Amino acid sequence: MSRTRFGALIAAATILVTACGGTTATPAPTTAPSTAPGSSEAAPSGSAEAPSQAAEGTPKDGGTLIAAIPGDIASTDTAFIQDSNSSAVSNQVVEGLVGTKPGTTGEIIPVLAQSWDVSADGLTYDFKLRTGVKFHDGTDFNADAVCYNYDRWKNFTGALASPDYSYYYGAVFGGYGANSNMVSCTAKAPDEAVIVLQHPYSSFLLSQTITSFGINSPTALKALDADNADPTKSGYNTGAKGAMVGTGPFMFSEYVASDHITVVKNPDYWNKDGIAHLDSVIFKPYPDQTSTLNALQAGDIDFAFNLNPTDIGTLKSDSKLQAIDRGESCNLFHLAMNQTHKPFDNLKIREAVAAAINKQALIDTFYGGQATPAVTWMPKGGLYAKDESLPAYDPEAAKKLIADSGVPASDLTFDFWYPSNVSRPYMPDPKGIFQAIASDLQAVGFNPTPQTKGWRDGYLKEESTGKYPMWLIGWTCDWAGPDNFLDTAFFYYTDGKPNPEFAYTNDALHDTMKQAEAATDDATAKTLWEKAQDMIRADMPTVPVVNSTPPAGAAAYVKGFVGSGNLTEILNSVWLDK
Amino acid sequence: MLQYIVRRLLSAVPVMFGLSIILFAFIHLLPGDPAATILGQHARPELVAAMRQRLGLDLPLWQQYVNYMGDLLRGDLGRSFVNNRPVLDDFLIRFPGTIELTVAAMIYAAGLGIPLGRFAARRPQSTGDAIVTVVSLLGISVPIFVLGLTLQYGFSVQLRWLPATGRIDPRLTIEQVTHFMLIDTLLAGRVDAFIDALRHLILPAIALGSIPLAIITRITRAAVLDVANEDYVRTARAKGLREQRVDGRHIMRNAWLPVVTVLGLQVGGLLAGAVITETVFAWSGVGKWVVEAIEAHDYFVVQSSILMFAFIFLIVNLIVDVGYAFLNPRIRYS
Amino acid sequence: MATTVQGVRPGVAIEERASRGLWRDALSRLRRNKPAIFGMICITIFVTVAILAPVLAPYDPNKGGLGPSFAPPSSEHLAGLDKLGRDELSRVVWGARISLFVGIVSVTVGLCIGGIVGALSGGIGGWVDTVLMRAVDVMLSIPGILLAIGIVAWLGQGLPQIMLAVAFTNAPIFARILRGSLLALREAEFVTVSRSIGSGSGRILLRHMLPNALTALIVAATLALATAVIDVAGLGFLGLGPPDPRTAEWGTMLTDSTEALRRAPHLIFAPGIAIIISAIGFNLLGDGLRESLDPRLKR
Repeated sequence: MSRTRFGALIAAATILVTACGGTTATPAPTTAPSTAPGSSEAAPSGSAEAPSQAAEGTPKDGGTLIAAIPGDIASTDTAFIQDSNSSAVSNQVVEGLVGTKPGTTGEIIPVLAQSWDVSADGLTYDFKLRTGVKFHDGTDFNADAVCYNYDRWKNFTGALASPDYSYYYGAVFGGYGANSNMVSCTAKAPDEAVIVLQHPYSSFLLSQTITSFGINSPTALKALDADNADPTKSGYNTGAKGAMVGTGPFMFSEYVASDHITVVKNPDYWNKDGIAHLDSVIFKPYPDQTSTLNALQAGDIDFAFNLNPTDIGTLKSDSKLQAIDRGESCNLFHLAMNQTHKPFDNLKIREAVAAAINKQALIDTFYGGQATPAVTWMPKGGLYAKDESLPAYDPEAAKKLIADSGVPASDLTFDFWYPSNVSRPYMPDPKGIFQAIASDLQAVGFNPTPQTKGWRDGYLKEESTGKYPMWLIGWTCDWAGPDNFLDTAFFYYTDGKPNPEFAYTNDALHDTMKQAEAATDDATAKTLWEKAQDMIRADMPTVPVVNSTPPAGAAAYVKGFVGSGNLTEILNSVWLDK
Repeated sequence: MLQYIVRRLLSAVPVMFGLSIILFAFIHLLPGDPAATILGQHARPELVAAMRQRLGLDLPLWQQYVNYMGDLLRGDLGRSFVNNRPVLDDFLIRFPGTIELTVAAMIYAAGLGIPLGRFAARRPQSTGDAIVTVVSLLGISVPIFVLGLTLQYGFSVQLRWLPATGRIDPRLTIEQVTHFMLIDTLLAGRVDAFIDALRHLILPAIALGSIPLAIITRITRAAVLDVANEDYVRTARAKGLREQRVDGRHIMRNAWLPVVTVLGLQVGGLLAGAVITETVFAWSGVGKWVVEAIEAHDYFVVQSSILMFAFIFLIVNLIVDVGYAFLNPRIRYS
Repeated sequence: MATTVQGVRPGVAIEERASRGLWRDALSRLRRNKPAIFGMICITIFVTVAILAPVLAPYDPNKGGLGPSFAPPSSEHLAGLDKLGRDELSRVVWGARISLFVGIVSVTVGLCIGGIVGALSGGIGGWVDTVLMRAVDVMLSIPGILLAIGIVAWLGQGLPQIMLAVAFTNAPIFARILRGSLLALREAEFVTVSRSIGSGSGRILLRHMLPNALTALIVAATLALATAVIDVAGLGFLGLGPPDPRTAEWGTMLTDSTEALRRAPHLIFAPGIAIIISAIGFNLLGDGLRESLDPRLKR
């Protein structure tokens, strides 16, 4: 529904960062994150540059867009943002040094940095900043402001330095203070900031595109006590007037908890081509999907970020509405199992589960065709994804595998969990999907016991600590790299132990992924990541089910929206044709 | 009369006191630790301990209770664990939404239910009576969210007569002074906005008011029939009084009593129904807020807002009882 | 939890008649009450369907894939198929069992709790009465649904918890009604007579007062049965319904059907009509009982 803690990212990828600017990409080994992230979801990203001119006529200026988000925002301090509702807002307001090109999930573009140089050892990033940029509060954006933000994150202590607040900093930089992979940020000149790392980190630039690394106004941060040891007392975090002061195309205006968040056009946006067409955007939380669709059809709202994909037919058949495609899938929905629970310690049983599930029926029933069967543990079109020819739907084969496993019938009874009160982009109807999968499992001889818990009310916590034998979970990427799925999202190690979520032990896989993350050339990286997928395939720790392409919905007069698979769109290109 | 009111108010004190103890105990029985909820699933134990200390959760329970009550008596409802905002502030922002909704639902329920009940009682066992009975039974049999979503689909999506969700078109920027949309729009001198707010109110009020409507209809019918059989009514008729006069002077005067009692009791049901109605209609009110607070273990929000609910419930019922006096001077407040 | 049982007259004036005579009279009056007869027919249908579900249901209620999702009604599937391709009619038939079970258990538990409190309060009186009634006031002042959410948050999600939650919202109402009746009876003539011939107070309470006071309670319980299914549906809408969503339960089915209103409007009818029939049945019977048990209301 909202407040989604999404899991980890990081761990270097060999995604070769060939961006604009004088870049020398120097991939190198990296530190593994020291935290134990809960899995599931992702969202944030950086900012856009000039909007791609959509072939929809000449944009008109003015008007207010009312956009439904599936739940209330959790924070207005980008350093703490880790849920897709908050980032849907902050992406409009706060920008980072770099961003991803609108419509893509991995193509880096300069934003507040005009260009950058990376030293040969991959440790020093020299960012040349844009000049003449002002924060929304009128103060200057410069190298001091950049370093104020980076130093602030690095020096978080106490509750602020925990994954529950500055999760992304901790995960990307591996820790805080002396443990951080960031050695220093130096304002070499007003328009030049130099960030020095302890270890080379090939995904560094890509990681800096997400909203959590947005540059906020130091004056505004100080004014609202953003660094208070108790984050609930920071007005900057809780949406007080004067919070969320960035450089983006929209300015934060008002937040009324569980009612609305308003952002207004920034007429002085530094990128003259990116000045918003809209006067303002009002984000309203709509927790119920049916009332969201009703509101859209009735004209109460103009745009809905999250709709049930099975309603896509309704959108298409209504001439006043449109379904908005958001590009290639960047998510994975899988049926998860924990190997400390019987019978999932048995490989044949896990394979039987894989053969028992009718993925096509799920796609037809719950995704309105807006999904494809997953072929590996990341999106089909992701970097280095390999078709692992996963078991086809074959109940007879599943029954045989169960028989061969030698597991006594009494062990085929287990708790099977699904989250209530939520719909995720990769899992639009958990309750329905659960019923279909449970029936599939029952048909081959398993005896799942239904269990449920509220998504925010303990489900994420319990699944991530390994309490559930079998459950529904998924992941939306931060960017489309294999590390973002295979390693820290799913099968990472912490302190030499496998992620307790799945309790899947495979030291060789761990080593292979580390090598892949350190690989310096594309071919090696490809070989190693494909090898890693083969190793996972052999053990079938979870069953990949689908990659979905979650639609957004809008009134027909909404034009210029550029969708992106990681669902972090910027609305400056949007205009109203009415 | 004044003495009676004072005594009734005083008798509410032990109820509120008892409620505060029960709520306090119950909330602290709930599994889960608000400190851990604030800090999240990865918090280190020492951080949780520090947070518990800050929230005063490390104190003995009785002391926490005494502190809470002390603050409460000074008019301080505490602060939210989630955003540290004073509970009273947020309550005052949201409560007008719930009041507007419940009052509108009550007006709908009583305004339609009482005439319907009187109509049905005029000719008991007639076709009209049967129709009213069936319709009111339908009202009780349909869950609020089903009615709400169906009304949205029919009147907003298909017919496009009324807006489906929200309290007002957010494009109309109205300065929020009282947070009563109907009042704020008038204060701003915006008749168009007032009408818009009124249009937003119609469907949720019907959805929320349907159950009270059914109950009020049935109670009115029963009460009128009850009184109509009394000797004095027969006498009045026998005297040759016009039916209208019999109705107004003799029947309704007495039939009001049970109807008004039920109206008061329905307030509790309306506040409960508001929780679901607010979700269906994306209505910004106190119901949705409390449900979220229960999920987040936001103790002070839950405690204080339920206490406020209860207080209002008690006050409304006091007003109802006092209202008796005007309707039936025979009642002595002994 | 939106509904509370209303319109029950506490302390229905019961004249000096032995309990058996009262019931016999009531029954004969009930027989002449047409709406009540209709209500009883509805309930008989409901109970019969619940008992004979395995015989009556044309298909296995949990067997999916009988045809395309949301297939409209046809000669094979009179009420159509649901999202998972299950026969909607069979699910409604089996759902009668769950709904009847939920209703009876939650109302019975509510009656037990409320009955004990009410009996102690009305029977003993004095400070016991004062304390218990203030407690009842406290419970009544908490909106039912918040109480239910709290119970589910406390005890976890499951059918027993849901039934307990519904029971707890009804219990204070039952307690108050029983107490009201008992208080009215304390001064009734036949009680005074019993007392004067030296019967013990416990004996009076059990033999004479309770049977008479139960009448109002029975009416209230009948009406509460009608709302139990709807209360469960409301909890389901907030995500607190039965944990096994495959369970054919009317409230859950109705919730699911509203989500599919556009693609399969027919799905709302079967569970909707079932809930309405049962609710109307219990309501009419409750009304009939009230009228026939309260001789003053004879007409």
